[in-house]
Amino acid sequence: MKVSEIMTRDLTSVEKDIPVKELIFILDSAKMSDMPIVDEEGKLIAFISTKDVIKAALPGYFEMLHSASFIPDMNQFANKLGQIADEPVEKHMHSDVICVEVDDDDLQAADLIIRKNLKSLPVVDVERRLVGVVRRIDLLHHLL
Amino acid sequence: MIVTVTPNPSVDVTYWVDRLKIGKETQEEYLTRATDGDISAGGKGINISIFLARMGLENIAMGFVGGYTGHVVVRALRDEGITTNFVWTGSGETRTNLTVLEHGHEHVPILIDGPGVAVAESEMNRFMRRYRRMLKVADWVVLAGSLPPQVNLAFYYELAELAKQAGAKVAISAGASCLTRCLPAAPNIVKPDVREHLSFEWMKLRTREEIISAGKRIVRGGVEMMIVSHDVIGDIVITPDSIWEISARVQTTQFRNLVGADDALLGGVIYQIYNGAGIEQALRFGLAAGILSAESREKVCGDMGQIEHEMANVSLTRI
Repeated sequence: MKVSEIMTRDLTSVEKDIPVKELIFILDSAKMSDMPIVDEEGKLIAFISTKDVIKAALPGYFEMLHSASFIPDMNQFANKLGQIADEPVEKHMHSDVICVEVDDDDLQAADLIIRKNLKSLPVVDVERRLVGVVRRIDLLHHLL
Repeated sequence: MIVTVTPNPSVDVTYWVDRLKIGKETQEEYLTRATDGDISAGGKGINISIFLARMGLENIAMGFVGGYTGHVVVRALRDEGITTNFVWTGSGETRTNLTVLEHGHEHVPILIDGPGVAVAESEMNRFMRRYRRMLKVADWVVLAGSLPPQVNLAFYYELAELAKQAGAKVAISAGASCLTRCLPAAPNIVKPDVREHLSFEWMKLRTREEIISAGKRIVRGGVEMMIVSHDVIGDIVITPDSIWEISARVQTTQFRNLVGADDALLGGVIYQIYNGAGIEQALRFGLAAGILSAESREKVCGDMGQIEHEMANVSLTRI
């Protein structure tokens, strides 16, 4: 089966200059965990996930800690998130975006989602325009 | 690619009842139990998107959605295979429109449309950026339905202008106050919504003569086709060089659900023109699609074979 037959045909995406707080609003409203980033032509240029935003809002020393119990409360996290809220998503996005083309095989999409531990995978046309996404649930739904 | 814009979509709730009880005193019976019901995604542009998708035509639906009911709309469109590109609003739920159809009187439905949710400036800016992107792939843009509260009445004019500059053709189906402002953009097709007001600009649209007179003025301004519903089973179509009266040989008592029938008509005309058909074929197909939609429980008939068969019952007269 082709990717075009299993993908969710949704073009919800943002531009790289929108602030992080706007990204959070869209992710929450649209119930998405990742967001494709496109240019003015609609071409896929990057990707950002909720995980990337959380990582950017955590204190720099967080990864050196063995447990979050060393952090006294959520205030540090909230303060840092407040600091980056007006920053453009460009500062935290991944430009090495993983994607598939509409005519690719569904197995290729499944392989990428599993191996790269992705929640969703952007789908592009031959001109690299965003045309949809393959979510984990899309794979499951079409396998049944 | 066809792009539809529904700025004020809805969840359409339809109830069929044997007899509608409307009490004036509390002692009277006033509870009406429906014999059947239906919930679907609605709004004029969305109905057209659904019709086109059922005809096998890929299209993109745009607009503003919000809250739980916004998800109902988006999900319904995706299930039809339509590509969605909606801007989420933070000010509330996508509206719900209620239709009550009383047995034997389905041709005069009771319609109560919600106002919709306001759109913030940042949300409007987000929409405009996305719209400009969609124009890179659009051959046709369909602007249809009412506007959310506080959105400028010139909104469709701006969208139509941008679409024309991008080389796309434009069809607009909306109320008179909104449609009037679009005319300087010279959209290709206009269809005034006459359910609320039987007028257009200062012109009345009640009689055949009034419709023709108004249509002639409109097409002189650069519009290629104006379609006006004249009665339940017929329309008048005015182009720069012709006037047609189209009607169907059906009984209004056969109607089951009139909501969406007008949108199926416009969707049918656009579908045919998009595929290179002539105007007469497009009008026959459009009216057949509208009539079959009115006769079915569902808002929009999606059976191509049935529509083509129904075309034999459509009469088209050049005036």
